[in-house]
Amino acid sequence: MSAPTVTPPAENPEATTPAAPTRLQALGRHRSLGVSYGLALLFVIALGLTTKNGFSPERILNIVGQDAQLGMAVIGQAVVMLSGGLDLSIGPVMNLASIVSAVIMDGSNGNIPLAVAVTIAAGGAVGVVNGLLVAKLRIAPLLATLAVGTILQGIYYVWTEGQPKGNVAPGFRAIADDRILGFLPVSIVVWVALWSLVAFVLYRTTWGKGLYATGANPRAAWLSGIATSRKVIGAYVIAGMCAAIAGMQLTAYSGAASVNAADSYTLTTVAAAVIGGVAFAGGIGGLAGPFAGVLVLVFLDTILETLGVPSATQYIAQGLILIIMMLVSRRLNRGARGRDDA
Amino acid sequence: MSAVLGATTRANLKPTIPIWIVTILAVVVAFAVSTPFRTGTNASSLLLGMAPLLLVAAGQGIVILTGGIDLSVGSVVSLATVITASSLGDGSGTLNVALVVVAGVVIGTANGVGVAAGINPLVMTLATMGIVKGGALLIMDSPGGTVPASLLEGLTWSFGSVPLTFLISLGVVVVAWLLTSETRFGHTLYAVGHSGIGARRAALRTNRTLIVAYALSGLLASLGGLVLVGRVFSGDPLIGDAFSLDSITAVLLGGIAVVGGRGALLGIIPGVLLLALVDNLLNLAGVFSYYQYITKGMILIVALALYNAAGGELKIGGVRLLPGRGSKPDAGAPA
Repeated sequence: MSAPTVTPPAENPEATTPAAPTRLQALGRHRSLGVSYGLALLFVIALGLTTKNGFSPERILNIVGQDAQLGMAVIGQAVVMLSGGLDLSIGPVMNLASIVSAVIMDGSNGNIPLAVAVTIAAGGAVGVVNGLLVAKLRIAPLLATLAVGTILQGIYYVWTEGQPKGNVAPGFRAIADDRILGFLPVSIVVWVALWSLVAFVLYRTTWGKGLYATGANPRAAWLSGIATSRKVIGAYVIAGMCAAIAGMQLTAYSGAASVNAADSYTLTTVAAAVIGGVAFAGGIGGLAGPFAGVLVLVFLDTILETLGVPSATQYIAQGLILIIMMLVSRRLNRGARGRDDA
Repeated sequence: MSAVLGATTRANLKPTIPIWIVTILAVVVAFAVSTPFRTGTNASSLLLGMAPLLLVAAGQGIVILTGGIDLSVGSVVSLATVITASSLGDGSGTLNVALVVVAGVVIGTANGVGVAAGINPLVMTLATMGIVKGGALLIMDSPGGTVPASLLEGLTWSFGSVPLTFLISLGVVVVAWLLTSETRFGHTLYAVGHSGIGARRAALRTNRTLIVAYALSGLLASLGGLVLVGRVFSGDPLIGDAFSLDSITAVLLGGIAVVGGRGALLGIIPGVLLLALVDNLLNLAGVFSYYQYITKGMILIVALALYNAAGGELKIGGVRLLPGRGSKPDAGAPA
């Protein structure tokens, strides 16, 4: 590590056992977590300074609660990226979930449980298709999920003829509108609950350890007896379900199903995961970082809105932050793995 | 033939044979089955529609040959249409074209520098995609603008039913193919795509090659946007979005491996033709236009699954149509 300008040779990439992170890896992880949360803190301060009364916890909770769907979708994206893949069908799945749930609810509170169950199952089914294409047909994740996303888009555009469809039940909007104890948005509670569930699976089960191993080095994982295909398929199923839940949250917030409201989420989930220190190579990062990544993006958008700059500037700002974070996380992860060309 | 082109060039052309066969068959069937397809107007609109995608896909192909990917091409196309349709300079359009070229090269170079610095191509071009999209929206927040008359005249010039822009785009693809297969730059490009570390250890100038590859992609995408204006007659900050997926699909249909280093840019021609043909036939059949999303996605999946199923090689009559791919048991890592 003494010659930083020279590429470290790729000797023995198998030597770093992914299941038990080396000290260097653990250090890299903490440092990149520090960077993500540092950035989030910086943005909270900026957010507070841009307006009078900006530090009011109620205002900050409201801002975060309004964008909880991003946080929910990012959980799935992060799991897929940890498996060494990428899910570009998240936006279309969210739109699909929005339409499916609204159609099944049809304006009646009694249909909500059925709508939620069917929508989550639909998201999981899309995940199975993605997973099979990636794990069994060996199609590059980027292309497989891009193609599936495009097909989904075609399906719901043909189904709805491009018009809003279905009718959101009044009781469903409680997720977006209600406040627990008068201040805590329900959406944040749902988000944190989903996060805890997936975090438990990822960190406290053998399946989760296997997923990390598969993402870090699929060949080594396969040779040591891990059913890598199942890990990969499972990751996409989690992503599909998270996206379905996120899509329903978006519907609850906006009060109507839409064919394109979630289009931008595909890329913002990738951005949030990357800002949160999840590496593209797979097996590096966790779920804590993306949480900060979401906060960074949400606060950034709000700050720009408050400043009254054109909304197009948000795209530019997000792009710049993404590039900066990639350069930072690359520096932090250097040496954490033998392979240099991801 | 054999005296003109190098052995590697000819070997790399072999993976493009299946897509040529499929596309020619499709054209013949369309010609035989559909009466409206045979009209000169339809041929003209088909070819005019192909021109921008040929240019964008040529750039995308160069980048994919390095083992990378360029998701920013769609935004660059949009930006180019917006620049072309905004009132600048003396109204002759010279300044517009110059700015389009400069913008393409600058964005592409930025991508290349980022990738050479070690940023994953996907994230790097995703980030520039956002930045360029924001820029295009700042210049023009809704479709409109006016294109200089003299420029528009040039962009819509046509020999009979063959548009000038189509011929130029075709010429550009051929030049790009020769550049990537017959020059020293091209050899380095394939080497980088085949093994980045290997190329670096062989003291090849990998960083310079990467930067030039992405710069070319940016340039070709912006020219694609310029040519697109000849069809839509205005600027639109979001019109190019579909080009990212379409160009990737065309390149992969053309037999260029997504892992890099294999295939030939000439395969882009049948790839683009096949995509344009499917859209064209669906339009002529009066099918709801949203079905095109479904067909495009299916074509991409089927093509990739077939190329993958062919695995190491695909032989017809003892001729190897696909070069060996080596064993890639990885269930994952994106390009």
